[in-house]
Amino acid sequence: MLLSGDVKIGLAIKSADNVATVLNDVSYGDRILIKFADTTNTSTIISRENIPFGFKVALKNIQKGEYIIKYGEVIGRATEFIGEGHLVHVHNVEGLRGRGDLKMVGEKN
Amino acid sequence: MTFLGYERPDGSVGVRNYVLIIPGGIISDVVSNFVTGCKTVVTADSGSGRSKRDRETIARTLIGLGMNPNVASVILHGRGLGSGYPELNVNRLADEIARTGKRVEVLDGTNDSTLDLVVKGINLAREMVQEASRLRRREFDDSNLCIGVKCGASDTTSGIVGNPVVGYVFDKLVGKGGTALFGENTEIIGAEHILAKRAVNEEVAKAILEVARETEERAKLIGEDIRTINPVPSNIAGGITTLEEKSLGAIAKSGSMPIQGVLKYGERPKGKGLYFVDNWMGMLSIFLGYAAAGAQIVLFQLGGGGLVGDTILYSSGGVVAPLLWLTANPKTYRRFGDEIDFYSGTVIEGKETIQEAGERLYNLILDTASGAMTKTETLTHIDPNQIYTVDPML
Repeated sequence: MLLSGDVKIGLAIKSADNVATVLNDVSYGDRILIKFADTTNTSTIISRENIPFGFKVALKNIQKGEYIIKYGEVIGRATEFIGEGHLVHVHNVEGLRGRGDLKMVGEKN
Repeated sequence: MTFLGYERPDGSVGVRNYVLIIPGGIISDVVSNFVTGCKTVVTADSGSGRSKRDRETIARTLIGLGMNPNVASVILHGRGLGSGYPELNVNRLADEIARTGKRVEVLDGTNDSTLDLVVKGINLAREMVQEASRLRRREFDDSNLCIGVKCGASDTTSGIVGNPVVGYVFDKLVGKGGTALFGENTEIIGAEHILAKRAVNEEVAKAILEVARETEERAKLIGEDIRTINPVPSNIAGGITTLEEKSLGAIAKSGSMPIQGVLKYGERPKGKGLYFVDNWMGMLSIFLGYAAAGAQIVLFQLGGGGLVGDTILYSSGGVVAPLLWLTANPKTYRRFGDEIDFYSGTVIEGKETIQEAGERLYNLILDTASGAMTKTETLTHIDPNQIYTVDPML
């Protein structure tokens, strides 16, 4: 079942990115062909959960506290372990900027 | 490349030919509804109880709107603005607009009732729209264009395709000697270091970083995670996870050209090229500021993937500057196709490149500049404008 789904497309902007944006509605077990905007290289990962169009999939295992990289830049930090093929979104990523909820200025990093 | 526009006495070129009546209120409202070819600003921002800095912003916005090349001539009246603050004095506004050389009339209402002024305004406006209608469009180079952009209801299609298509258009326009404006101070937080590298000099780089710093400090004072405010819920529902991610996608709409300067809301650029504007994202605010800065056309690059029950076909917040709605999201286009002027989801569908979609958008802008109506322009509905002020109301 794991490999029997449709082939879907994911787009990563830079080779350094550890997430890609899926360009189809992805179901658990779908094979996702990952294209990179900065190179002709591609890779394939298997989706480990349903991921809607436009949402992000982890391209590798991401440890708790590790930065999330998109556009080759830091877009946030994992708040828990995120396995390859899983959805990356607000439930497992926090932003680092504009954190008025954190007590000390500078504590964010 | 060229378009058909209206030449103004100051050498600027209009793409529309309106008579503007300001400030807003019952007089402007009745006259502009009764007489064809007129525009006015509908806003609650009268200046009363506002700081000098904010009163100057309101004055700059109204003056800039009067100076906009899409305005043939201006009627001002002294009712309903400013409670006597000198910055908002009607004669001051009139004098500054008149520096463009265009016709500026002040309704003298010292001994008149409000309704007396309405009648005077109607008679004057009818004569002025007839006069404006005698002007003919003729061919001008695209370097005479100034375009402002906002991205909104952003989702992940915005950063990947929609904004890069606008970026292509900005690069092309700036390369031809035109002027392009982008902004949204919250949506550069997390991407300001990239913009700063594109500044023409150290001073401009510092100014860009300072806008991000000041905006972030203001946000932190609230004591909340900014993610509870921005990215807004529709961004998150559209796949955007953090403000940094939103910002990195948002700046793609600015293209890749050097940034010539940082402008205040409603401030006119001193030269041609690409400028960053220290403004706020609100669509009823940002387009008015671009129009006051001299933009003849404004663009709304819509994501829309996370929109639930919203109406998107607002009246143009640019008042005198036509608004083009763009989207790269196939689902948004299927749902709001009758409200959207331009679709770049073809890139996501693999049918077009960003460059090809950008060329199509550039041609649509030239067409619009020559007089083709946008979808929003076909409607008479007017939403209130919101002038971007920053100080407390006292």
